[in-house]
Amino acid sequence: MRLLLRLLSTVLGLAVAAGGAVLAVEMTWSLAQPGSREALVPWRQWLATVESYSWSREPVLWLAGGVVALGLLLLLVAATARRKDVRLSDPADEVVVTTSPRTLARLVGTKVRAAEGVSGATVVATGKKVKVRANGRSTELRPSLAELVQSTVQDLPMPRHPKVRVAVAAPKNSRESS
Amino acid sequence: MRSPVKAIARSARAERVLTSLFGLLAVAAGALAIVVGLGWLGTFRSQRSVFDPLLAEWIAANPQWTKLIGIGLGIVLLVVGLLWTVRSLRPERQPDMLLSSSAAGRLKVTSGAVTDAVSADAESLAGVSRAKARLVGSAEEPALRLYLWLADGTDIRRIWQTLDTDVLARARSALGVDHLPTAIRLELDTSKPSRVS
Repeated sequence: MRLLLRLLSTVLGLAVAAGGAVLAVEMTWSLAQPGSREALVPWRQWLATVESYSWSREPVLWLAGGVVALGLLLLLVAATARRKDVRLSDPADEVVVTTSPRTLARLVGTKVRAAEGVSGATVVATGKKVKVRANGRSTELRPSLAELVQSTVQDLPMPRHPKVRVAVAAPKNSRESS
Repeated sequence: MRSPVKAIARSARAERVLTSLFGLLAVAAGALAIVVGLGWLGTFRSQRSVFDPLLAEWIAANPQWTKLIGIGLGIVLLVVGLLWTVRSLRPERQPDMLLSSSAAGRLKVTSGAVTDAVSADAESLAGVSRAKARLVGSAEEPALRLYLWLADGTDIRRIWQTLDTDVLARARSALGVDHLPTAIRLELDTSKPSRVS
């Protein structure tokens, strides 16, 4: 999302610059050569078209709706383009350590998959929550897996440890705990 | 002193603010057009031309002024747009490190020299498969960003404990500085071990 934000920002900047350049060139051309044809774009024709439309016309309303949608999209991208770092404890003054949710998930996933009776597992992790869904021979594995995940997470040097949620799916039944 | 938190990643604040402002402007303009078009501000307004007749009259009466205002506005938009684009495309600054500054001269270490040395030192730690360092900030207030890729099964707590006492202490000592704000990023290495035939 941060890459998309940077790309969008660049495109918007270019669009503003291009619009400004066209406006400056056309107005300068019109000032220097009154009555002559437009230099770059047929803006007189555009102006006449806009003049012929009232606010209540359908194309105007559709265009306005499109502009609102574009604005909301830009706001959404700007709001969601944030880093989702998992902060670890600071080992010293002036030193901060972070890791990614993916790394946290992989750490937990490796431990869970190595546990006896587990045939597979999916892990979704954030700095606040770690959700594990394991496939095993029996749902009775759940308490021991929950303990394993809890101890794996507790072992990490974190100022606040994420909550752990473990679900075990066994053939034909499943149980969940938090 | 630069905060190490600022060194975690390149800031996207300017891009976020500019994009948000553009988005807000678009939402406000579009919503206003819809409100006017649907007649919520009066039927008379909704039946008027999009190119407001009062504005059209003023433009017709003052063609010179209109063109001059258009030129000025165009130049402002061009400059703002170019600055905005350059700001978005500009790569992050990697400053050289100013070690001392006196009347006799200034002693600087290049960014590449610092980051190569720190990376090589970090890669010598057991469990660290790759390391990449980067100096960020300014020459007067540099900060270090250090990416460490750890091999599968590495004890993160052990690496975490030795980072400051080993790698960073050596870096500070080699550079002759007491303070070097540092942001460290730990990742598990995803590269598969190569097959030996």
